[in-house]
Amino acid sequence: MFKKLSAVMLGALASLNVLAETAPIHAFVESRCIIQTDMAGTYGNPNAYTLSTAAEDGGDPVVIRFDVTLADSYYAEITAPQEFSTSPIINEVMTWEGDTTVKTVSDATGMGEYETNKVELGMLDRYDLIATGSTWFETSSKVALGGDKAFPGGDYTALVTAECIAK
Amino acid sequence: MALLLPCYSYSNSVVPYYGTTGNAVVDNNLVWDMGNVFPAPPGLTVQNVIYSYNIRKSTEDRVDVSVQNENALGEGYVFRETDSWLPGSLDNTEINKAVPVMNLPKEVWGKGSIEVDGNGSVENANVAYTYRVDPCYDPQYSPSCPGYKVPIPEPVQVEYDVYDADEHADDTQYSPDDDSLEEEEKETEEEKEKREAEEKLDSKERLEKALAVANTNLLFANSFAQAQMLDSVNTATRMNAYYSTSIDGGTYKEELSIQDKQLPDSYKGLRNGLAQQVLHEKMVSMQYGN
Repeated sequence: MFKKLSAVMLGALASLNVLAETAPIHAFVESRCIIQTDMAGTYGNPNAYTLSTAAEDGGDPVVIRFDVTLADSYYAEITAPQEFSTSPIINEVMTWEGDTTVKTVSDATGMGEYETNKVELGMLDRYDLIATGSTWFETSSKVALGGDKAFPGGDYTALVTAECIAK
Repeated sequence: MALLLPCYSYSNSVVPYYGTTGNAVVDNNLVWDMGNVFPAPPGLTVQNVIYSYNIRKSTEDRVDVSVQNENALGEGYVFRETDSWLPGSLDNTEINKAVPVMNLPKEVWGKGSIEVDGNGSVENANVAYTYRVDPCYDPQYSPSCPGYKVPIPEPVQVEYDVYDADEHADDTQYSPDDDSLEEEEKETEEEKEKREAEEKLDSKERLEKALAVANTNLLFANSFAQAQMLDSVNTATRMNAYYSTSIDGGTYKEELSIQDKQLPDSYKGLRNGLAQQVLHEKMVSMQYGN
């Protein structure tokens, strides 16, 4: 009887001495693909029902720079806007157009064919970033209000989305 | 205070500064002279070449574009970057490139150019150089520069008017006074010969006197020098005997002693005193006619 009791008590004491520890392992991975807006765009207003970033319409296209330090590891996906992020209330249907092109490269041999080899999926343009260096992409946007109605007065903002997608 | 200290030391030292040139491409020839590109200060080294241009070509063509600078101190190029625009690259694509160079001094940077090889061309070319200037390249730029030496002022060059006796040798024959010149012109030939003969004689006598005085002085100087030499030799001879003599050590006791207790009068003195007395009495007696 005494032996059993002792065994039970030892078991209880042993269970009190069990400790758990967790040790964190930290890491910081610096991205090998950095996106920067070199120039924010502006819409020109060539007529009452059109907003355009084209220079001839008085606008400026968006210029986005991709800096890649690891070759053949990323896609650049740039999507022209299809709606306003801020604007007065518009009840009419809008027609959006947008396109992205390679404006400038830092390596003619490695990046010269980016524009030729790009893949277009609607408003999204995908580029295979096979070379290291910087590439400047220019995105244009044009929106027209349906029925040739005039845009209401106010501030309008549309966003171009640029992403680095790892392969 | 701790934050201010580094700032203080920084502001007191001469630090290098950095800059970027303007566009070196000034015309459509795509050739430029570096003498007009870099600023003047010495100690300039180039760090990067930054260039951009738009390639004009057909998509199916290959065009090689080289941006380059010749070696000003030798053959070849100090910088040459070639961009190969392969078939498939689109027309009017811009390239923007920064190429680091290893701080090459500006002296080696020769003529720059953009060379196009292939069926194409470039537009909107822009070539700029980023540079670093070390003001202490010349240590005398500032006392804060390492190796600075305090400048020693140049001695002032004084222009002396050196009298040239040869040049004015003939002048002694003439008087600066116009009147004397006129008088001399009035001299007859006979007077002139006489005067010249006298002057010649005087000149000879003066020369003899001068030589005699010179000889006398020379003899006097030689005699004086010889006397000084003998005197110094004699001095050495006299003094050396003292230097070489040694005196034995120890105690020298007095040995003189007087044994007589009474000193008697000298007989010679007694005789002298008596003679004096006799003489005295004789003289006294003479006063009284005895």
